[in-house]
Amino acid sequence: MKEKLEEIEELVNEIEVDILKLQSLFSNFLKKHLKGLIIENYIGEYPTFMEPVILGEKVKIGDDVLIGPYVYIGDNSEIGNYAELSNTIIFDNVRVGTNIKLDNCIVTKNCKLNFNNSNIKNCILKGIANSEKEVLKIYF
Amino acid sequence: MPNKKEKVITRIQELESINLAREEDRDLVVQTKKEVEKDNELLALQINQELRKNNIKSIDVVGAIGAGKTAILEKIVEIIASKYRILVICGDITTRVDADRIQSHNAETIQINTGRECALNAYHIYQIIKNKDLKNYDLIFIENVGNLICPSDFILGTDKRIIIVSITEGEWVIEKHPMLFKMSQIAVINKIDLAKRLGTNVEKMIDDAKKINPNIEVITTSAKTGENITKLIEKLEL
Ligand SMILES: Nc1nc2c(ncn2[C@@H]2O[C@H](COP(=O)(O)OP(=O)(O)OP(=O)(O)O)[C@@H](O)[C@H]2O)c(=O)[nH]1
Ligand SMILES: [Mg+2]
Repeated sequence: MKEKLEEIEELVNEIEVDILKLQSLFSNFLKKHLKGLIIENYIGEYPTFMEPVILGEKVKIGDDVLIGPYVYIGDNSEIGNYAELSNTIIFDNVRVGTNIKLDNCIVTKNCKLNFNNSNIKNCILKGIANSEKEVLKIYF
Repeated sequence: MPNKKEKVITRIQELESINLAREEDRDLVVQTKKEVEKDNELLALQINQELRKNNIKSIDVVGAIGAGKTAILEKIVEIIASKYRILVICGDITTRVDADRIQSHNAETIQINTGRECALNAYHIYQIIKNKDLKNYDLIFIENVGNLICPSDFILGTDKRIIIVSITEGEWVIEKHPMLFKMSQIAVINKIDLAKRLGTNVEKMIDDAKKINPNIEVITTSAKTGENITKLIEKLEL
């Protein structure tokens, strides 16, 4: 699984992302490699998990959060209150604000979504953003 | 300026008179509750249509904590796994224990951990179904979180609901929890192997279920000895 993730991470970090290749790697990862419920080490108050869900180390999760199905969250990432994530990869050290809904997204390493109340679908998210307008989005 | 203690007392008096919502929020609270129920029904209907369109039979299992929901599903799946392509969705506050138990009998399972919620709702099931290729299944079981109260607020869009209680919960368990019996088609009284030892009045339990819902079919089972499990499968038309 780690190798597949690294492959995706490499691809999304390229200047010109090969969207076709990404789509196939992404759906293959979610539907074939992501399995079960690995949630031992999160910090937070009993969110809802719909498997498959895999969490890295020290993931912080707020109140009333809904995670899954098909979600990977990398180490040290932080998910705000009322967030909802499905079909999504979140890499390490990411922050997702309050009441943000992500479906079919890839959030790159160190990305900070420092804003609230958004519904975002079908894209790669990059950068440090204090409003939705400031996020770099690459649709796929 | 009233002191802190007086403020608390005033607020408690207020709460006593307004049922835990401020006067100005009352309408909003009622309205929100109604809308949540309506939305849940809408999704449940959508789930049912999707499943029917794909010729998938669906059964939702509710019941008391530890009544034997998983044990009965294990037995059923063991017997019919060669005949159907089965998906079992297990709802629990936490852990994957139930899904692992059922998976060992050759059914695909999905565990939902509801965290602080005491029942599955239609949105959970909708999210699962939306992300699955339904052509791969003939039969879906949903095991709800164990309790006899919350699941009555949320229908899940299945064709049938079965409710499971057991001898060990005492012969009053059915009359004390009428809601889910009203909305189920089959009532299972499990752990019948223990009836003699515990001296439970099983007839009373059966009568209570019939009184609450004259249309309900009642069956006594033992997941331990396998008693009446095939009969239950017949009643489920599987
Ligand atoms: N003697 C006896 N024990 C049973 C029977 N059915 C289940 N058990 C036991 O009762 C305990 C609880 O059974 P489960 O199948 O986990 O019950 P459950 O309703 O799925 O429980 P939750 O999902 O936690 O609400 C287990 O130790 C079972 O082995 C039965 O028919 N007879
Ligand atoms: Mg169980």
